[in-house]
Amino acid sequence: MIEDINLILPPLIVAFGGLVLMFLSAFNKIKLQNYNLLAIAFLTLAFVIELPRYGSGERFFAFSKLFFKMYIVDDFSILFDLMFLLGAVFTLLVNSVYLKKRKYYSGEFFALILFSIFGMMTLAHSNELISAFIALELASISIYALVGYHKNNPLSGEAMFKYLVLGSFTSSFFILGSALIYGAVDSTNIYDIASFVSSSHGEKLIPVYMGATLIMITILFKIGAAPFHAWVLDVYHGAPFPVTMFMASTFKIALFAIALRIYLVDFKEINALWSSILQVITVLTLLIGSWLAYSQKVLKRMLSGSSIVHSGYMLIALSSVGLGAKYAAPAIMFYLIAYFLSSVGAFGILSFLSSDAKRQFTYDDFKGFAQQRPYLAAMMAVFMLSLSGFPSTIGFLGKFYIFTSAIEAGEIALAALGIITAFISVYYYFKLIAVMYFYSSDDQKKKFEFSISTVLIGAMAIIIIWGGIGTSLFSFIPGADGLIDIATQAIESLR
Amino acid sequence: MEKFLSYIIFLPLVVAVVLGLFRVPLKVVKTGALISSAVILGMVCLLIANFDPSLGMQFVRIAPWIKSYGITYFVGVDAISLVILFLISLLMFLLYLYMWDEKQKGYWYNMLLLQTGVTGALLSLDLILFYLFWETMLLPIFILIGRYGHEYSLNSFNAMKIILMTVMGSMSMLLAILYIGYRFFEKNGFWSFALNDLSSLSLDPTASVWLVGGFLLAFAIKIPLVGFHTWMAPAYSSSPTPSTVILSAIMAKLGIYGLWRFGYELFERTLDYYAPFIIALAVIGVVFYAIHAIMEDNLKRMFAFSSGAHLSMIALGLFLTNIYAWSGSLYLIATHALASGGIFIMIGFLAKRIKTVSIKELGGIASSAPKFAFFFLFFALCIAGVPSTGGFVGELLIIIGAFKHHIFLGFFASLSMLGSIMYLFWMMQRVLYSKVKKATVGFEDLNIKEIFILLPLALLLLISGLAPSLFTPLFDPQLNAMLKEVALKVGGTL
Repeated sequence: MIEDINLILPPLIVAFGGLVLMFLSAFNKIKLQNYNLLAIAFLTLAFVIELPRYGSGERFFAFSKLFFKMYIVDDFSILFDLMFLLGAVFTLLVNSVYLKKRKYYSGEFFALILFSIFGMMTLAHSNELISAFIALELASISIYALVGYHKNNPLSGEAMFKYLVLGSFTSSFFILGSALIYGAVDSTNIYDIASFVSSSHGEKLIPVYMGATLIMITILFKIGAAPFHAWVLDVYHGAPFPVTMFMASTFKIALFAIALRIYLVDFKEINALWSSILQVITVLTLLIGSWLAYSQKVLKRMLSGSSIVHSGYMLIALSSVGLGAKYAAPAIMFYLIAYFLSSVGAFGILSFLSSDAKRQFTYDDFKGFAQQRPYLAAMMAVFMLSLSGFPSTIGFLGKFYIFTSAIEAGEIALAALGIITAFISVYYYFKLIAVMYFYSSDDQKKKFEFSISTVLIGAMAIIIIWGGIGTSLFSFIPGADGLIDIATQAIESLR
Repeated sequence: MEKFLSYIIFLPLVVAVVLGLFRVPLKVVKTGALISSAVILGMVCLLIANFDPSLGMQFVRIAPWIKSYGITYFVGVDAISLVILFLISLLMFLLYLYMWDEKQKGYWYNMLLLQTGVTGALLSLDLILFYLFWETMLLPIFILIGRYGHEYSLNSFNAMKIILMTVMGSMSMLLAILYIGYRFFEKNGFWSFALNDLSSLSLDPTASVWLVGGFLLAFAIKIPLVGFHTWMAPAYSSSPTPSTVILSAIMAKLGIYGLWRFGYELFERTLDYYAPFIIALAVIGVVFYAIHAIMEDNLKRMFAFSSGAHLSMIALGLFLTNIYAWSGSLYLIATHALASGGIFIMIGFLAKRIKTVSIKELGGIASSAPKFAFFFLFFALCIAGVPSTGGFVGELLIIIGAFKHHIFLGFFASLSMLGSIMYLFWMMQRVLYSKVKKATVGFEDLNIKEIFILLPLALLLLISGLAPSLFTPLFDPQLNAMLKEVALKVGGTL
């Protein structure tokens, strides 16, 4: 009993933290900063407890009598947990200045963040389709509320409504798919499904095919893959900055957690079935995403559009998983980390700047930015370079792993398309660098403001460069070399 | 001694980062850059003194970088890269002297980063490492053109143009690199991107035609061959003098060097298949660029096209694969780098004095500034390939090689000399000797410092023109060995 509780302790702490924050906000006695600190404290506590558990290589089931094998604890889920917790902490810290300067934030905001993190963690741990669905909905519903958090802003309301209607509609595909699979397998447990799939063939598998495809649709919708991408720009644009950041980075990681588990365990034997479907979707996602990102003037929209392209890169690797590329799954995890760092950094600078301004930043607003704020401009340049996959940043290595895995799977045309879209992305990312550096500004040079936000953003820029060129010079810090090994180890634990 | 190459690559970067972080005053930045480049020049001279021409790759250093993919930090130098390494370090030192009056710190930082980029690309022997430097050297050029360039209204456009075109090339190269790396993994069961590992790989003809296409696109854009050249003239004319010098004297040559190092080590046979097309493009380039140069009014653009013509000539020599053409190419790489460096620095002096580089507005400079006229004439003659200058030796060797290949080819290659004499002499007649125009009244002559910058270049050109036998023993053994290998694979006679 105690051992079981110990196993689920980190998500439990997060859920408890969410409840505490919710109760506190009912009385509205403490300051906003303290809510933020409290939320970060809970998340950090969970992180600290979780961190030493990584790397055991063993597999546990919590409350195996009560839940049977519903809740799994392995290296894969622990690594994802760590990523979620870190993601949430980073999001909250980076936005601390923004949150402080906006009137409409209160305790519920942080409670919702914690609840959605709880949902994501359960999602990574769930070894069964129904609990996965519940966890996914828990995370999603919290995010629906967060998207519409700025109640007086019509954009925010529109975004929430759009996301809510479309999101709940596509979620029903997941449940329908699970039902079909249950009909065929008599169980929704992932290992049962896996053994059913490997032992039977022919007509018996047809419901499984259908169900798995429906589940796939839900996941593709949530990561914003084309043709399910129509909501992305408006929702990312309308949502408050911290939420956009949270969705683009942390929530996306959670979706790949469940996608990888389903793909690598459940339907391992029949993966090749979706490869051709996924290839088509990948091509569409890359092209449409590039077009959307290319045609934007508002930076937040550009970053949202480009997040579709980045989903496309990960889909390249996902379709290679089905074709038997050994390094594709670790490549996805590495890319998630790389994309997380770069996008949180870029969104972070935007949110830091827009905490004083009341409008959206366009490219033109950044004219002469390098003269006004040389340090922030340099950091922004690093994030743009990393997003465009320029070598010597972590983004390049992420793309390197993805494209190698695509070549390994024989999908050379897809790799070439990925390279072409990376080339297109050079245009819209370098445009920002050009605007920042090529124009002189009339405004005075501003001093570097030391705050948690800016220091953390700077640290991320350094991590990005370190992750790109880090060597075995300092053996105790995992650089470019160590991260991919960690990812590979986590993927190994699934098998 | 083994660590020298790493010091040479990373010293400018370290200087730039350290000085940049501490936000030191301009004076310190300038001194730091100059001292670091002087130290590097000294180290390169030491390397040359300890270099043994018969041994091939030397001062090799390998360290693991990303172990799971077998990517290493792998640097080394052989005769070909040593020549270019010397040119880089010498030109960089002189350029820092040239830009001593430059007030903007960012300018200096970018030049330091640029030095690291070009040296790294030159010395790396691991394909991923090479790609890393190959891309990163674009970044300082991008900023230098856009931020500190001359034609203000067009700068961002031209900077974007060069970066998009060159990135397109290098991305296609990346795909080829990844594919080769994977094929190596497939065959041997472990990853490696080191050049000497990959060169042992034998690829089927169809695949290697595509792969070479990927590499060629990158190098053809960088050189640039005709058809891939639209970025060249705008970028040259937009960028400030130091980066024009680097573009023409170093980066364009790195395109040739890349073909030499990676093209001929990895796919001799396929390059042989491509050779007729490249030779055709190069010959067209020799004539096309010369015609362009004759018509051009902007001095910088004119020398951009002239540089394109000579690089076409070098590319021609490279693809002829015989010893005359090859040593001619290498010789021309060195002498053209020195001469075009000199001429672009002098155009910089000119622009500093009278704020215009339009030939129409210039005239009669020789009457008021004899020293300026002398040096300008010398560098221009060297580019034209007049005997007793270094340029002559290189071009002559390539033309001999072309005649050896085919008589018509030799005929077309000789057009290079004719063309360059036409545009250069006509330009000099207008700029240096015709009537004094309004802009050139009281043209200030070169001062001691400026002469000091130009003198090393001029002396080296003179020595290399008068006594080529001093230099050829340095690289002949290696070129012969490489040619033998190529002949073995291709099966032709040399």
